[in-house]
Amino acid sequence: MLNHVLIVARKELMDALRDSRALVSALLYSLLGPGVVFMVSIALKNKTQTGANDGVLIGMMAVFTLVSAFVGGMSVAMDVLAGERERRSLLPLLITPITRRDLVFGKWLAISFFTTGGLLVNLAGFAAVFATANMAIPGNVPRLLLALLCGLVPLALFAAAIELAISTICRAVKETQTYLSLVTFLPMGLGMFLVFFPGAAHAWWRIAPVAGQQLLLESWMRGREAPVLESLILGLFTLASAVCLLLYAANRLEQDDVVYGS
Amino acid sequence: MIEVQVLGKHFGGVEAVSNLSFTARDGAITGLLGSNGAGKTTTLRMICGVLRPQGGAVRVDGISPHPDRRRVQRKVGALLDHMGLYSRLTARENLNYFGQLHGIAPQRLKQRVDELISLLGLQPVADRRTAGFSQGERMKTALARGMIHSPNNLLLDEPTNGLDVPTVRSLRFFLQRVRDAGACVVFSSHVLEEVRALCDNVVIISKGRLIAEGSPGELCRQSSCASLEDAFVKLTGVAEVPAC
Repeated sequence: MLNHVLIVARKELMDALRDSRALVSALLYSLLGPGVVFMVSIALKNKTQTGANDGVLIGMMAVFTLVSAFVGGMSVAMDVLAGERERRSLLPLLITPITRRDLVFGKWLAISFFTTGGLLVNLAGFAAVFATANMAIPGNVPRLLLALLCGLVPLALFAAAIELAISTICRAVKETQTYLSLVTFLPMGLGMFLVFFPGAAHAWWRIAPVAGQQLLLESWMRGREAPVLESLILGLFTLASAVCLLLYAANRLEQDDVVYGS
Repeated sequence: MIEVQVLGKHFGGVEAVSNLSFTARDGAITGLLGSNGAGKTTTLRMICGVLRPQGGAVRVDGISPHPDRRRVQRKVGALLDHMGLYSRLTARENLNYFGQLHGIAPQRLKQRVDELISLLGLQPVADRRTAGFSQGERMKTALARGMIHSPNNLLLDEPTNGLDVPTVRSLRFFLQRVRDAGACVVFSSHVLEEVRALCDNVVIISKGRLIAEGSPGELCRQSSCASLEDAFVKLTGVAEVPAC
């Protein structure tokens, strides 16, 4: 029932927005990338030609942008399931007449608010860096924005789903934190791999979550016009992957050890 | 009314509940009495529908939680051993959340929340975040949460653990009022004095199996013992602790 989904999402949002420390750390994580790129832009300013600088800085931006889709919602993801088990509030919730699926989708919506928010704050930060560093954004900007929205926002939703699924498996907040920290290496690791082995990407990578977004950003960096249709297809596959993860998480909540795990 | 018939549950090689049968009637408090690990908590969780039995059946007002878990959960209120609250929400917000999940209309929910806050003496802390609550305040808020939807069947799993004497007495009076209003109350405990004072019917469980059932007086007569404590020890065969 959509009503139950929205009730759960509203409560999780209200709860998370009252955790000022987690909000501040999510904001800092999201602005970390723009901050680092800005400082590097100043350091490189007078050392090499402007065009060469821009290429390096845009390369750094791609990795930070992909990571920001994951880190914005980490704190909330740890709290909404693993945290519930640790606090011993999950069992009372499972006794209410709400389906596991509605419960999971509601919590996912709340996490998505923070992953998407983190991504948008990151992109806004980079837009400010571009402006202050007098860097030219390659290609058609409105087309680029549309391609980024179609390709990157689904990544934030996918990130929320994978974080929720991990939180369902883990028994405590600390354990979840360990695994979620490893998940943030996924976009970083892929980015590094493609830097050293640029020819290794297969065609199907263009529709695989994370890899597809990495390739989308890279092709734009190399001067190719932002591919809106390709981004849309990537976005749909990414969303479908997110839904599969959520259905897995809902099924996990039916298991006995969820009740006895805390 | 809650009917448990030949209920069974095992976790790997451990048989938590085996061939357990009893009936908890409306307008009565039924006590589940047993040592730690006897199977009381597992039984209550199967009644609520959060655990699936591997044998037998449970019926709450004639409905089985498998396959109709949500229908049963609308008829059952529970205060189980996990009574965690949301620390960044006030007591009122905690109650409102669960009331909304039960589908209670906003106007009726506001009335019901105010009613429960008044009934359980939560007025001084109703609009405080639950982070700093005492054990008694936490228990009362969790109990109000379990009753938000006015269930006719109430399950409590060792609710007086860690509570002071005045809170235990106020809980006892509250449960007696709920029983007198016609609800079915199932109350698990290993504290004999509590069971003796509160329960109309007692089900003694040991190692997941039914050992005996009856009122406290009937159990004493059945075992030819003067006290419920002696009756429990005799019926369950629990070894005596050697004198120091």
